[in-house]
Amino acid sequence: MNRALPEMLNCMNAPGGLVAGNCTDMTVLDRQRTRMRWQHDQFQQQPQQHQGYFGGNELNGVFNHVPIEASQVQNFQGLIGLGGDLGMGQAVKPDLSSENGWTELGYGSCGFEMNNISRTFSCPPKVAAETESNNAVPPAKISSPAGKESFKKRKADKAQNNKAVAEDDSSDKRMKGCAEEGDSKITEQNSTKNNDRESSADTSKENSKASEVQKPDYIHVRARRGQATDSHSLAERVRREKISERMKYLQDLVPGCNKITGKAGMLDEIINYVQSLQRQVEFLSMKLAAVNPRLDFNIDDLFTKEMFPANMANFPTIGMSSEMTSSAYLQFNHIQQLLQCSGLENGITSPDSALLRRSISTPISIPETFVDTSCFTQVQPPTTWDADIQNLFNVEFHQGRTAQFPSQPFTGSIEASNLKMEM
Amino acid sequence: MRTSTTTTSSGITLSTKSCRIKFARRFLRSLAEIKKQKRSSASSSEEEICKRSKRIKMAAYSSMARAVGPRMNWSRALLFKLRNRVSYPRLVKKKKRVTVRSNKVPRSKSSVHIDRGNKLRKLVPGGKSMDYICLLEETAHYITCLNTQVKVMQAIADNLSK
Repeated sequence: MNRALPEMLNCMNAPGGLVAGNCTDMTVLDRQRTRMRWQHDQFQQQPQQHQGYFGGNELNGVFNHVPIEASQVQNFQGLIGLGGDLGMGQAVKPDLSSENGWTELGYGSCGFEMNNISRTFSCPPKVAAETESNNAVPPAKISSPAGKESFKKRKADKAQNNKAVAEDDSSDKRMKGCAEEGDSKITEQNSTKNNDRESSADTSKENSKASEVQKPDYIHVRARRGQATDSHSLAERVRREKISERMKYLQDLVPGCNKITGKAGMLDEIINYVQSLQRQVEFLSMKLAAVNPRLDFNIDDLFTKEMFPANMANFPTIGMSSEMTSSAYLQFNHIQQLLQCSGLENGITSPDSALLRRSISTPISIPETFVDTSCFTQVQPPTTWDADIQNLFNVEFHQGRTAQFPSQPFTGSIEASNLKMEM
Repeated sequence: MRTSTTTTSSGITLSTKSCRIKFARRFLRSLAEIKKQKRSSASSSEEEICKRSKRIKMAAYSSMARAVGPRMNWSRALLFKLRNRVSYPRLVKKKKRVTVRSNKVPRSKSSVHIDRGNKLRKLVPGGKSMDYICLLEETAHYITCLNTQVKVMQAIADNLSK
């Protein structure tokens, strides 16, 4: 892409002889400069006189390439420089142009192309104006009719032109050969251009790779050999990795999912498991609903006690007896045992969760106590059991209310405080 | 759940321990409230039981969602739905719909994933608006929570029916 530029520069520089100035003016890559210098050296080997014609000819050829290839700001800058060069070049050879209209028209067409280029690249109108002023012929006139005229004239006056140029410069005989040479040179340059383009494509690939590597700071993707490296497939790969990771996690969660291979089967299994769990919840709620009405009274009683802590004031007076403390302790142990028997123990299988067991067991122990009260209220003095329940209940639901606990003087409260500490 | 704390791939720590305690507490409280409300009409007719079971289920779901808190999408969606009282017919109806659809369509391999993803989307609350990765993550969390819920409810039911 950028390779077009040094060639243009060379073409322009050769007639103008402004190599050094352009070199400094252009903001081009170094390798382009070196390439330019090399080409310039090559050009300097050829006789200077030919290069007027050659430059004009090649300029068109190169310019025809430019709008296709050039797409960067650098090229644009080069074109600006070219505009200046164009003017300079024309200023250098008014003699030629005055004698034969061909070169002038050729340059006019060049200027026209310049305008086209400038338009296509949406360059600021300054440049166009500059070229216009430099060309001294308004580009509107040049544009289509002048260009056509120039071509017609070129065809008609080709021999004349050659003669005229021959008149101008004594070394015209070399010129035809040189023109041919120039053509071949152009093709050669084109081929080199192609090579350069390929290499530039490679470099751009490298650049894109580098940018891809730089871009995702958080996701480090490494493409293995033979894998696609464009951003879409990389993103897709990342996504797939994420999905498989989560699938693995789900596989651990869902029992019986380890044996299944394939994501579809795993998904089926997961769906089935979720459905079964939801159904289980439904079933259990049915069960609870069926079971509960029997316990309505007890629960309500207890909850009213819980709701109105004024009732608790009664309890310390009732529960002062020594047998009650023992019963409280017994009750607590009883609940523990029951809970160990209960299915909740299955849930907490980790051995270090003794604390957890208690802390969890207490909430569950409330219905337990309900059951106990419902069963044992006839057998045992109800006050002690109620006190027990009260204790446990307070432990469970009112951790904030432990200030009330010291008012209950028996060991049950100590137990409760212990429990509370554990929780 | 053997592990007391599990970490999802997104870094969300879900402590099943605290989740279980919170859920049990909330659920028992709401259970007691349901009892209190149903105390006057303590008849054990089919209709009553059905109604009560619905209420209990709702209480279970909402207490689970509250125990999890608003950090997960599914719990937020569930709470929203429960608040708007859409969730009850939803669970039953959707199963029916899903089965019908899965029987209907003969699928290619690429559509299998999408279809199953959609199936899963309907099961996990709030899954409609999630992308696939998020859905899998939420599903994992939802499964753990459902597990906890089922275990706690099982324990309570066992204790009550003793």
